[in-house]
Amino acid sequence: MRKLLIALAVVAAWPAIAHQLNVFASVDGTDVVVEAKFSSGKVPQVGEVRVYDATDALLVTLPLTGEETLRFPLDPVAAQQGLRIEVNTGEGHEDYWILTPDDIAAGQTN
Amino acid sequence: MRSITLATLTAALLGTAAQAHYGMIIPSDPMLEQDEGREIDLTLSFSHPFEDLGMTLDRPVSFGMTHDGTRTDLLDALTETEVMGEAGFGLTQRLERPGTYIFTMEPQPYWEPAEDAFIIHYTKTYVSAYGEDEGWDSELGLKTEIVPLSKPFGLWSGNVFQGIVKLDGEPVPYAEVEVEYYNEDLSAQAPSDLMITQTVKADADGVFTYAAPQSGWWGFAALNTADYTLPQDGEDKAVELGAVIWVHFEEWMTE
Repeated sequence: MRKLLIALAVVAAWPAIAHQLNVFASVDGTDVVVEAKFSSGKVPQVGEVRVYDATDALLVTLPLTGEETLRFPLDPVAAQQGLRIEVNTGEGHEDYWILTPDDIAAGQTN
Repeated sequence: MRSITLATLTAALLGTAAQAHYGMIIPSDPMLEQDEGREIDLTLSFSHPFEDLGMTLDRPVSFGMTHDGTRTDLLDALTETEVMGEAGFGLTQRLERPGTYIFTMEPQPYWEPAEDAFIIHYTKTYVSAYGEDEGWDSELGLKTEIVPLSKPFGLWSGNVFQGIVKLDGEPVPYAEVEVEYYNEDLSAQAPSDLMITQTVKADADGVFTYAAPQSGWWGFAALNTADYTLPQDGEDKAVELGAVIWVHFEEWMTE
């Protein structure tokens, strides 16, 4: 688990910037729920969500919709090893959240 | 026995009587990042932080966590532990979502014979989770509290911390605020007892300012006398109400 976190963190290391974008993801039953917002509290209106598995393989790319949350079905196979969810809103605003297997298991049982 | 010996020895080495009492809530991490896990440890105590002297903390009247305006009662989650050689409490708490988590404790009234008064320190501390700070400036509506004007985490040593002292929801003009460093490893030395507990006063709007000279945990205690008394030995005794906030200042870092 620690190796996964370190590997994913290194791959997804971004430079710090003003108007920081914060990304959080959780699992709600069979769905992954992604939340992205700027440090100002505003929700990004455009951008892209990229979902990677623990081997850094890109699983899916989704557009942001301007809503506070974005949901997509949890891939049960990839879920066993964890996911990295990146959000890019352009202009250098990027952030990620790592859903660990423990996070996923906790969300599936809620 | 061990605690008494340690406390006595420490006091003797410092060559001074114990200074201010502080309610304390100290988390293992004031800013939890996602690669550091999903849990923090907290210790609750009633102590003399600069001298690292513990006192007995009885089970608090209340202890809880506020996040995004919702309070979670954590009193039953507390487990007994030893802090600075005396009875305290601890717990491990999962932080589910990003944002600011505010931990608050109302202790039982502590009878202090030397001051002929009871002491109640409404104590709180702040933890940000996963890079988000929303909620750091919220007012909880405690009997007395310090409402932060500076974000109470993510401060460099040398930064100022500002807060408003409130009692029953109203600012307290010229409130006296005691400031003390949690001298956990006893490395800090005070050339005078006056520098173990420093004192600043708020302005006419209840706003006080303090610049921390050193990284670590700093406690701010705004003390006021309650408008009620409590009985002790058949007499009505005054009650000192403390609004205590613990703030962590970070060491300036370079590569």
